Amino acid sequence: MTTLDHHASVRPVPNPSKSLITKLNMGTGLVVGVIFALATYYGLGGDSAGVFENYNRTLLATMFMWSIGFMVGIGAFIGPFRWLVGKDLTDEEQLYLAGDGQGIKRYFKYCTDHKVVGIQYMVGVMALLGVGGTMAMMIRTNLIQPGSKFVGPTIYNSLVGLHGITMIIAMIIVVTGPFGNFIMPIMIGAADMAFPRLNALSWWVLFTAIPVLCSAWFLGGIPTGWTAYAPLSIQAGPGMNAFIATIIIFAVSTAVAGANITATVVAMRAKGMKWNRVPIFVVGATMSVALAIPAFPTFMVSMIMTGLDRSYATTFFDANLGGSGWLYAHLFWIMGHPEVYVILIPGVAVLMEIAPVFVRKPLFSYNAAIAGFAGITGLSILVWAHHMYMSGWMPMLNGPFMVTTEMISVPTGLIFLVILGTLWRGRPWMKLPMLGVYAFLWNFLIGGITGLYLSDVPADNYLHGSMYVTAHFHYTLMGAALTGALAGLAYWFPKMTGRMLNERAGYISFWLVQIGFQVLFLGMFIAGAEGQPRRVADYSVNFATSDLISSIGAYMIGLGMIVLLWAVIHSWRHGKIAPMNPWGSKTLEWTVPYPVPLVNFDTPPVVTSDPYGYGKAGN
Amino acid sequence: MSGDTRFHVHHDAPIQVGRRERLGVRLLIVADGAFVFGMIFSYFYLRNLNANNGWIPEGGHTLSAMSGWVSVFPLIIAAITHRIAMKSGNAFKNIAPITFVVLLVGLYLQWKQLAHMPFQVDGEAEGEKIFGFEGAYASSWVLIAGANMFHYILGAFVALGVALRSRRNDLNAVLEFWRQRTVGSWLTWIAISGIACAITTSII
Repeated sequence: MTTLDHHASVRPVPNPSKSLITKLNMGTGLVVGVIFALATYYGLGGDSAGVFENYNRTLLATMFMWSIGFMVGIGAFIGPFRWLVGKDLTDEEQLYLAGDGQGIKRYFKYCTDHKVVGIQYMVGVMALLGVGGTMAMMIRTNLIQPGSKFVGPTIYNSLVGLHGITMIIAMIIVVTGPFGNFIMPIMIGAADMAFPRLNALSWWVLFTAIPVLCSAWFLGGIPTGWTAYAPLSIQAGPGMNAFIATIIIFAVSTAVAGANITATVVAMRAKGMKWNRVPIFVVGATMSVALAIPAFPTFMVSMIMTGLDRSYATTFFDANLGGSGWLYAHLFWIMGHPEVYVILIPGVAVLMEIAPVFVRKPLFSYNAAIAGFAGITGLSILVWAHHMYMSGWMPMLNGPFMVTTEMISVPTGLIFLVILGTLWRGRPWMKLPMLGVYAFLWNFLIGGITGLYLSDVPADNYLHGSMYVTAHFHYTLMGAALTGALAGLAYWFPKMTGRMLNERAGYISFWLVQIGFQVLFLGMFIAGAEGQPRRVADYSVNFATSDLISSIGAYMIGLGMIVLLWAVIHSWRHGKIAPMNPWGSKTLEWTVPYPVPLVNFDTPPVVTSDPYGYGKAGN
Repeated sequence: MSGDTRFHVHHDAPIQVGRRERLGVRLLIVADGAFVFGMIFSYFYLRNLNANNGWIPEGGHTLSAMSGWVSVFPLIIAAITHRIAMKSGNAFKNIAPITFVVLLVGLYLQWKQLAHMPFQVDGEAEGEKIFGFEGAYASSWVLIAGANMFHYILGAFVALGVALRSRRNDLNAVLEFWRQRTVGSWLTWIAISGIACAITTSII
């Protein structure tokens, strides 16, 4: 039900300020969440006299009850309860939930306005990237020279695991969170998301996962890396419960957000916006979340099994009693590999959206771009076992999985060709967003080609578990997807904040990050090819030079990100006022003024041409 | 940030809203389907692997093939009664509560099965009671039964919702009709999922 929809029963509340909805906010959520958590913890016997299973059970229940309590306290269940008893929310109450006239307070409430949710996601993503990035700096500081004692091996292991999972979560939502919520509905001419309350739910549920994940530090950390392989994860200390609860909560948020974004695009496009007129960013974001819908539940199953093994002594992953570590690896990677594309596709789609605008040419072969995305999406569910070549599981299937993995380079190549074709003989307007397109081409070329070596069974035999793998996936996830997200930030910042992003600071940040990135990960490729294992706190002096170079690169990235953070905060407060359409783009989001009205468009738009008709007669 | 401009009332047609809600529920069913697939995949994977003969360890218990079906029948009946209620016009408000009650009975049966399963291994450590499970079959059975119970709870919630709403709201309103259809989609799905799980646990 949207904010704007008509209800079967309209019973206006004479004074909505008397409604419970108006009393609830983030503060009440925190209070109720803490009360629920404490009641659960002490109700189940605290640390349960140190019995492993009982303590894990108590901790898991406490974490879930915190999340449920927070959602109760912020008012997330008022809508479902009112639906249950047949007293739907009135127009006035829905208007209140949409944050009408509440200024900055609406950012701390269960607000259903998609633009508010987009900003909430943006701030949340920046916080997650900041925390994950700080952990990366600590990892690289420890690796600056062999024998470093900056952190001990136990803390190092936890740093690696928490950095991994924090960044994975941040990267999954880095594009579809802020831009998928704020920009995408306007881009398709919709007045709102299909399910505004679910939209708020997806953000606030995710929000409850953040303190849960942070609690891992106080519970002994997670020593397993972000993959949390069983049986390591079964034997790990209490911090592992935080990992399990985080993933389960995050999977709920992802499923809800995925269904919402997909339904919005399928059912709420403006009149005249046929499928071949849908902006490529919208197509990419939708394919990404549609892929996440079936992918994440299998990860959730594996986490529930891990939780049960730890807290109820089931035996899913205990080989002595019929369990199998391979089962975990399957369930994890059936999600894990599509997840790479869940991250990658929206970032690439942002760059495809940007390129035509800044070269003033149509997107080269829109249909090839769709085919590329569809091919990647389809093949991504058939490649998971290439992560298990060296696990000993079914060596006879290594060949077929090698073929499917290498086949995925075909649709990926299409994506490359679409961007190159768009740039071909164009006269690029070299503004900040456009730099991201070129950075992507360089980074993803390296990330893609090095991936081919890892898909090859004999080469993987040597490279598996080395720093080479770490460098490869950072080139794809950070070099391509994060580059796309940052380009998107520069591109849509004027629409989201009403101000232009400080260009000089943006350029400085871009070059610091991109040069630092090459220094860091090219150095890591060398160390990995020479045999340095990943996830190890110390290393041989043979790798000292490569690691020193890598750490210098990491500090450059850190510095660049601080400059970017400053640019965002400063520009948001004091930046140059942005015109309505600073880039001269043809998509719908640039036709609405800032501040964007609550229902986006005064009159529902009608689309009569494709969004990339630059330089065509009649456009 | 978006501005505090005034609200314009702009209502979508109920049929559009209804279709959109049904699409949303169907997408969530896809997610739930992946979850159910993950459980069934795990069941057969562990069964066929039978690591260290631990699928059903020596002296371990099993449940009869019928046991999974006992708690699935109410799901099937609920899906059917809801469909009958929808076709019965104004009698909907009289039949809808039956769906809810059937689901409550199923929930009770499923809880009873879980509470009385035979494969618990009780013990004691540090003065605290602990328990475990006999092997991979027992573990997989518990997971599937737990998921079934979760389906029952969600099913009972939406069934109660349509039953209560049918007494307050105009049954002939387009949006109410679409909501009943959407609830029907969910009830049908959980029945299908229950059948798939029952078939799975029948193969011991």
